[in-house]
Amino acid sequence: MRFEDVSLRYGAGPEILRHVDFHLEPGSFHFMAGPSGAGKSSLLKLMYLAQRPSDGGIQMFGRDVAGLSRGDAALMRRRIGVVFQDFRLLDHLSALENVALPLRIGGQRADKVRKHVAELLAWVGLADHLHALPQTLSGGQQQRVAIARAVVARPNLLLADEPTGNVDDRIAVRLLYLFEELNKLGTTVVIATHNETLVSRFSHPVLRLTAGEIKLSRSPAMSPAMTGSRPTKGSAA
Amino acid sequence: MLLRRTDLPLDRDASGRFLPWLVAVMVYLAALALICAIGANKVVTRWDQGLAGRMTVQVPTSEEEGDDRADEVLAALQAIPGVRSAETLGTEEIARLLEPWLGTGAAYQDLPMPTLIAVRIDRAAPPDMTQMRRRLTQIAPGTVLDDHQSWLGKLLDLARSVQLVAALVVGLVGASAVTMVIFATRMGLSVHGRVIELLHLVGAQDSYVASQFQAHALRLALRGGVLGLLMAVLTVLLVANLLGQSDAVALPDLSLLPIEWSLLPLLPLVVALIAMVTARLTVLRTLGRMP
Ligand SMILES: Nc1ncnc2c1ncn2[C@@H]1O[C@H](COP(=O)(O)OP(=O)(O)OP(=O)(O)O)[C@@H](O)[C@H]1O
Ligand SMILES: [Mg+2]
Repeated sequence: MRFEDVSLRYGAGPEILRHVDFHLEPGSFHFMAGPSGAGKSSLLKLMYLAQRPSDGGIQMFGRDVAGLSRGDAALMRRRIGVVFQDFRLLDHLSALENVALPLRIGGQRADKVRKHVAELLAWVGLADHLHALPQTLSGGQQQRVAIARAVVARPNLLLADEPTGNVDDRIAVRLLYLFEELNKLGTTVVIATHNETLVSRFSHPVLRLTAGEIKLSRSPAMSPAMTGSRPTKGSAA
Repeated sequence: MLLRRTDLPLDRDASGRFLPWLVAVMVYLAALALICAIGANKVVTRWDQGLAGRMTVQVPTSEEEGDDRADEVLAALQAIPGVRSAETLGTEEIARLLEPWLGTGAAYQDLPMPTLIAVRIDRAAPPDMTQMRRRLTQIAPGTVLDDHQSWLGKLLDLARSVQLVAALVVGLVGASAVTMVIFATRMGLSVHGRVIELLHLVGAQDSYVASQFQAHALRLALRGGVLGLLMAVLTVLLVANLLGQSDAVALPDLSLLPIEWSLLPLLPLVVALIAMVTARLTVLRTLGRMP
């Protein structure tokens, strides 16, 4: 994934992101930290193709996103798992059905999918809530359903927006282990959070976003192009 | 537990609730129009076949010469080559023909009635009509030859207009079905905007969304279409039953042949297919316009 001098403004509003320039190695694991309103969610939106930059170029999986057709963008999104800050669960579907959604859209058969989905939900501690509708679940439980949905299709890129905001620290650490497991299998992970204590418990590099500008700390895997640091492993994502 | 087949809760919203009823009304109208068109066609054929090779000759009665002139006309007719038979209709027969208009037991004898001669013509070698007319008017001036062509022509015109109206109704029904489905689909797209957005975000293509809308439209239209067809069939049976009781012979025959009955179910099927394709294209077009 490569961002080249990307800027973003909503409509005629102020610039939310200013000349953001970086690239992430495939298989890397990053936190993205920054105060509320810094533009973390906006930057993630650009990554999962829900928003086009007002300026600059974005490459994902080696392709320029500006030239993607709707169909190609859909196929690319199947390689990206997203945990939305507001979960975005479909409230007429059970936890099981919500988690199975990416697999179904990917064309997998329902009967094959079920066992895998149930296991994953058990892993995030929701074995007893497979058939519960989202509105009957607590905030933390909904968040875990959202996380299960994001990882179920083994995406190449996982983007999580404040994925531990509604759970206690014990569960938060457990969920981060899940992300690390996924990362070990090759998934590139970006986790936006303002929970600094959580960030400090792991040794992953942190993208710091302040007032629309990005800075890297503790970075082995990220190379802001402006500062000219070198990529560490593999080729550019 | 089985996983649900659709992700969009289309069954629950109001956008499609009116659709089956409107489709029912439209299929009802279209079915009636088609039945009338078929009926009109039949009336024409029946009269055409019934009147083919027949002619009526009216000889006015005159006070002085009485029936003699009519007898002369009859004899002359029988002598013309190409005329297979000619016979004077008796008073009873005329009375029977006039009964529907005048009622039973009317005093026909007091009316100045022309003599009617029913003529059958050899259709293979028909006589020359102008010559025949000239010959007969020589014998009895005022004689009228009616080969029923003008009556048939008018009937045909009527049937054609009925069929034209029927075609118009069917066309309008098709057009409004399309309009309604477009409207309902657009409404559904905006009602479920959030869900559709999420489906896109987890990698759904437009066709994935479209297939759910099209299946929904197909189901709704089929349901309404079958209802409309049933109502139309009931109406026809009811009307046919009423007509049968009043034995008005001149009225069209609404009873359909088995083959015509078996064509009717095509109507809701075709409407449902139109609805399905329309829904699909509407979704693809609307979503395709998004960035
Ligand atoms: N759809 C939008 N239209 C207009 N402005 C927006 C939109 N989304 C976000 N913004 C603005 O962009 C800025 C950054 O928002 P963003 O959600 O990216 O912040 P964030 O870092 O995720 O904050 P938080 O930690 O509270 O989630 C905010 O000032 C917000 O008002
Ligand atoms: Mg945010």
